[in-house]
Amino acid sequence: MWVGVLVLFTLHFVLHIGLSYGREAPDLLTLGLLIAARELSLGRAAGLGFVTGLLEDAMSLLAFGANSIAMTLVATGGSVTRDLFVGDSRLFFPAYVFAGKWTRDLIHWLAMGPEVRQPFIEQAVVEGSLGAIYVAGIAVVFSIVVSTWSQR
Amino acid sequence: MPSYGNGPNSGARTRDLALTCLTLLLAFGTMYLPQSTQERVSTLLQEGLRPFTALQGLVSEAGARRVRIEALQAELDSLSKMMSTLRAVTDENRTLRKLLDLEEELGYDYRPATISRPGTPGSESTFLVNVGTRDGVQASAPVLSPAGLVGVIRDARSSNAVGIDWTHPDFRSSAMLADGSVYGMVESRRGDFREDDRLILNGIPYHQEVGLGQVVLTSGLGGVFPRGIAIGTVLGIAEEEGAWRKAYVLDPAAAPGAATHVLVFVRESSDSVNLSDSAGEYR
Repeated sequence: MWVGVLVLFTLHFVLHIGLSYGREAPDLLTLGLLIAARELSLGRAAGLGFVTGLLEDAMSLLAFGANSIAMTLVATGGSVTRDLFVGDSRLFFPAYVFAGKWTRDLIHWLAMGPEVRQPFIEQAVVEGSLGAIYVAGIAVVFSIVVSTWSQR
Repeated sequence: MPSYGNGPNSGARTRDLALTCLTLLLAFGTMYLPQSTQERVSTLLQEGLRPFTALQGLVSEAGARRVRIEALQAELDSLSKMMSTLRAVTDENRTLRKLLDLEEELGYDYRPATISRPGTPGSESTFLVNVGTRDGVQASAPVLSPAGLVGVIRDARSSNAVGIDWTHPDFRSSAMLADGSVYGMVESRRGDFREDDRLILNGIPYHQEVGLGQVVLTSGLGGVFPRGIAIGTVLGIAEEEGAWRKAYVLDPAAAPGAATHVLVFVRESSDSVNLSDSAGEYR
């Protein structure tokens, strides 16, 4: 599982920074973080969220800190869900990833500041929902790949 | 199941909560760091992301090399044609200045740069150029592509610089029609969606006529952008306020997303723009 998370993190930076893909590429950093958060304690999940958020902030000088806040809060929330949901249901994982990604985008939008952010409808509602569906779809593929690989 | 209260794990739980609170405080604190500290942290983090930024540089270079020879030849031909006309104008200008006893007009020095765009959240409408303060680039330096104005440098570091393109809500430029008859201010106006973002020529007095299809250039007023850089062409009226002001929608000259190689203006210099030949014919 940890190898998978590391691959997701690396692939995210290759796609978004190395190849300059924006919304076309899924947010694999949030996906990896949401997966890892359910395996970590509250403090460690928050720490991992903070580090990954800071890495994303390295490239966004105009809203520095917004990604750190969003990722730390989402990782903390992800770790808390471990105590609230067992997560045995087949629907749980994509629903969890969808909610996590959408919340991450909403917090990021709120933290960005009015002078930098896009209108709420566009960024939080439309782009946020589409991005969350995209990542949830990737999460399903990821879970199938991981379970197939672990059965071998 | 985690334990609560005075159980054997309650100490660990308390430490965990304390660590979480500390991390959250740190995360919120990053937003309120002074800008200079934010830039230092950002530079440090970019060092950690160097393999990915290096890959971005390679991809940009490869993309630029794919430009067809025919397109380059066409550009060279049109530049040669333009230069042949400009030489005569420059000579005439120099003679007139001499007659009027005026100083030599200052030109601009520039640095060629490769532009790259990180696709991370929060970096929309911003770009990185691979030239920085050690190349003479400073904040507020205009960034141009062959088609026209792309944006402006917002923050210059030693080896690279961060800029905003004209789609950024903070972008402003003083502008004029190509014939110098009408002056106004060009700004970016956000639509409900990114595709609705428009360049607007604003602050035009109601009685002044602006024809559709007229070319809009930077006016040089304000001292940020040199005079004469193409911004766009007039598409139509965006709004009218009472009977005293009009605003026009522009068709932008440069598409920021398509720009790979750009010129970053660094400072005024007396010897940078010289249209005379290498033998110094016009000196």
